[in-house]
Amino acid sequence: MKNLKITRGLVALTSAALIATFAVALPTAARADDLTCSTTAAASKYGAFDTSLCSGVDQFGAKYEIAMPKKFNGTFIVYSHGIRKNTNLPPLPVVAPKGYVVDNSPQIAPTDEIALSLLKQGFALGGSGVQTQGWNLQEQVLATTIVIDQAITKFPKIDHVAAWGNSLGALSTQLLAEQNPGLVDAVAPMCLAESALAEFTMAGDFLWGVKTLFDPTIKATGYSTGMTGYTEMVTDIGKVLTVFGTLSAAIKANPTAPAWPASSTAPAALKAIPVRSAVLLLGLISGISTQSSTFDSSSGPKGPLETSFGLAISPALAVLENGAEAAVLAVVGNYDMELRAGGVVFDNSKTNYAARLGDDGDIYAAGLTGKTATAGMLGYLSALNPAAPRVTADPNAVARIKALGEIEGTITVPTITMTATADHVTPPGATQYLINKYKASVANKQSKPGLLVNIWNKPADEYTTFDAAGVPQTPATPTNGTQHCNYTESQVMLVAKLLTDAAKSGNAPTNKTVLAAIKRQPRLFVDPNYVAPLFKYRQ
Amino acid sequence: MKRYSIVSAVVAAGAMVLSTLPAQAADPGVTATEIKLGVSTPLTGSAGLAYGKVPGAMKAYFDYINANGGVYGRKIKLVVRDDKYLPTLAATQTTNLVLKDNVFALVGALGTATHSKAYTAAALAAKNVPDLFVNTGFSGFGNTTKYPTTFTVLPSYAMEAKIMSKFIKEKFAGQAVALVAQDDEFGVDGVNGFKAGALTLASTTLYPQSSMTDARAKALLTGLSAIPGKPVVVLFGTTDVTALIFKAAESLNLVSKFTWIAGSVGGDSNTLLALGVKPTTIDGAVAASFFPDAKDSTDAYVSQFMKINEKYNKGVSFDNIVLQGMNSAMLTVQALRAAGKNLTRTGLIEAVQNKGSKFASAGLVPLNYSATSHVGYNGYWFGQLNAKGELKPYGGTLAIFTTDSAAGAVEPSTYTRPALPKNGIPTNS
Repeated sequence: MKNLKITRGLVALTSAALIATFAVALPTAARADDLTCSTTAAASKYGAFDTSLCSGVDQFGAKYEIAMPKKFNGTFIVYSHGIRKNTNLPPLPVVAPKGYVVDNSPQIAPTDEIALSLLKQGFALGGSGVQTQGWNLQEQVLATTIVIDQAITKFPKIDHVAAWGNSLGALSTQLLAEQNPGLVDAVAPMCLAESALAEFTMAGDFLWGVKTLFDPTIKATGYSTGMTGYTEMVTDIGKVLTVFGTLSAAIKANPTAPAWPASSTAPAALKAIPVRSAVLLLGLISGISTQSSTFDSSSGPKGPLETSFGLAISPALAVLENGAEAAVLAVVGNYDMELRAGGVVFDNSKTNYAARLGDDGDIYAAGLTGKTATAGMLGYLSALNPAAPRVTADPNAVARIKALGEIEGTITVPTITMTATADHVTPPGATQYLINKYKASVANKQSKPGLLVNIWNKPADEYTTFDAAGVPQTPATPTNGTQHCNYTESQVMLVAKLLTDAAKSGNAPTNKTVLAAIKRQPRLFVDPNYVAPLFKYRQ
Repeated sequence: MKRYSIVSAVVAAGAMVLSTLPAQAADPGVTATEIKLGVSTPLTGSAGLAYGKVPGAMKAYFDYINANGGVYGRKIKLVVRDDKYLPTLAATQTTNLVLKDNVFALVGALGTATHSKAYTAAALAAKNVPDLFVNTGFSGFGNTTKYPTTFTVLPSYAMEAKIMSKFIKEKFAGQAVALVAQDDEFGVDGVNGFKAGALTLASTTLYPQSSMTDARAKALLTGLSAIPGKPVVVLFGTTDVTALIFKAAESLNLVSKFTWIAGSVGGDSNTLLALGVKPTTIDGAVAASFFPDAKDSTDAYVSQFMKINEKYNKGVSFDNIVLQGMNSAMLTVQALRAAGKNLTRTGLIEAVQNKGSKFASAGLVPLNYSATSHVGYNGYWFGQLNAKGELKPYGGTLAIFTTDSAAGAVEPSTYTRPALPKNGIPTNS
């Protein structure tokens, strides 16, 4: 927080960039003195007493909050939330059982419980909820910059600023620090998202595979404008959910040789391959984790399937469990991205899916029903097959999405990441990309060494459980180390402690400090040599 | 002055004591008194039944060495983790060995799919963790750029197939040949070797790992029985599948219809018998090996390992798997010794590269280690099993051949095996 004076200039610059890229209306500028502060609001919303909760709306329409405890310890922590859907949805199973209305509310911490804990410790908290949701990277960076500006204007007693965020909010937090040297003293991106193209290539590849193999009537890309496009998107969600429901039922009925959905138009020779192998293949070529909340790709029920379940069936079921969300994300995401960018963003016109499979073709040969079957499935997905038409993006739309920004790896303040090894929405490849870019930046003397600390969150060695009949049991609580941003409160509080200590000292925690901090966290580890696979987009 | 002298004497005595101990190394898993090694391998599940004896045999040999002074005074501790022959679990367990158990090196891992995933997941290359004597013949592990710290011990499957091609063409000329192989990198390595060996195949059946069932085995053999004459059936898969096919042949009364050849991975007689194959079925079957027969107590290595097994691996029957495990342990001890008292990971890797080809071992074919080759044995001999499960040289004469994984010729071996170190305790440096 060395050069906060430049913040307003940055806001102006970033605003100009935002306007140049997307048509953003500029409402009347908000000022710090417009903030409405109330101790009653803090008590009613967060259960925090002796805390003043200030609310406002910035000049771009983003709502924000700043919570200042009476016994302030000098550090302000600004939070950036993860992606939220940018479109209302009717009630849809799995996706939005009660329907969904676009949520622009500000968020000052990962959860209200964590907010309360931090406020009790004397930290001031802040965060925003931008006017346009979806992949709102630039808006969020700008909104967070404004929150910091408002906070230090309103509360000059702020000595240190720490920033953190989840998922897309983690990416915007990272970009906030990279693009605004000196604005914050330390950052903690958690479940860091990769660039829009990397993320939507993963989800898009998977959705394209689902469409091609299981239901060619899914539109997947190229949604129309207006109500027609919205209807197409909602219809697609229904079709995707139907496919996954059918696949799930087929595998449940016959795990060894499940049948293909009736909606598939694949040739009979391909359908002779157990459909679970096709699901696994789609997961492997797109980069969907082969560990999910229920399936660890290792455990098997007692009896004849004990080994083969973990070897050949569990990885496919994990992809199925993870993939439903990835495919729906692709539908909603593609729709939103195409509206934002004015054209098709997903592109697999030149993708070599055989190369994408790589060594996984050998490692998962049993689950893929052998190399012959794998070759058959890849042949069907080949660009030469007219029954599997590829998608070509609109270059102008891609250029607009690229302009949203991505990680450069230029790190100037202590940066602490926390990443699950089996996160199916933001796989660890995003953090690995940050690590690689940072190493390059250090090598080029653009960054100082020793500023990046990575904490990894992995599931237990084996965690799938089975009932007496050998049926896998879905855990009551999602398995830590799997799912998206699925951290325990204590894990997040641990990151908060390291983050705020680093903000105060200006130094990243040492390996010894982190090891001591995670000593009682069996699902966390640090290892400077751990290398996660990059997104397929980067390979 | 007097006090100074006493202090000096104490310091000097301390220095003398310290100088007799090996220097502390910076790498994990090594102290002045201990070397911690790790292995991720199947102990349970279907593969555990066939290969689960490997770590116990290794540990028995290390215990024997520990009882005889260890390696330069350091005792060897082997940490064993069960991966059930599952790639994801192997990755987890190997990571645990490196991160949680802080092992100095890995020894004797088993499996291709398992270990290739584990190698990357545990970042063995980045950490420079020696990855010694991996029990796989997948030629891909010979890529020292991709697997710079890995040393495999088995001859490659491509080598085996090339040598087998020559053997079949010479011994079974005129008989049709049917190949039954696992449909993955293991089987494909073999298929490529048969192509390189210019063997004409009347039939090739590829099956995914863990997909073979009794019904499928019967259907397969029923189909193959239509081939006229007495076809040669080459079984290039794991032992559990060999057993399934043998039992199917028993059930269909087709045992005598075929000449059976089992590859080195799937031809262990003790395991086949333990899996319920009749002794009369394996009697006469051809199998490949690069070791002496584990039942040949006249062989110096086998005899010594049998003694060690009896004392340090109580209750475990001695067989090819135990022989393999003890042999890998003996290679490990020689590698540790060759790396010197100041033990480092880099030193251990260099020791195998520079001196590994000269290590004493039970193998009847040479070890192939060098700076450019991390592949162990490079040859095979063929024998016939009898009803007791003993493997006797085919035709009564031991004929050993060597080759490479590529286009090199298959040639008779001129290798002379080094003598067993006294009492089986290496003294190399």
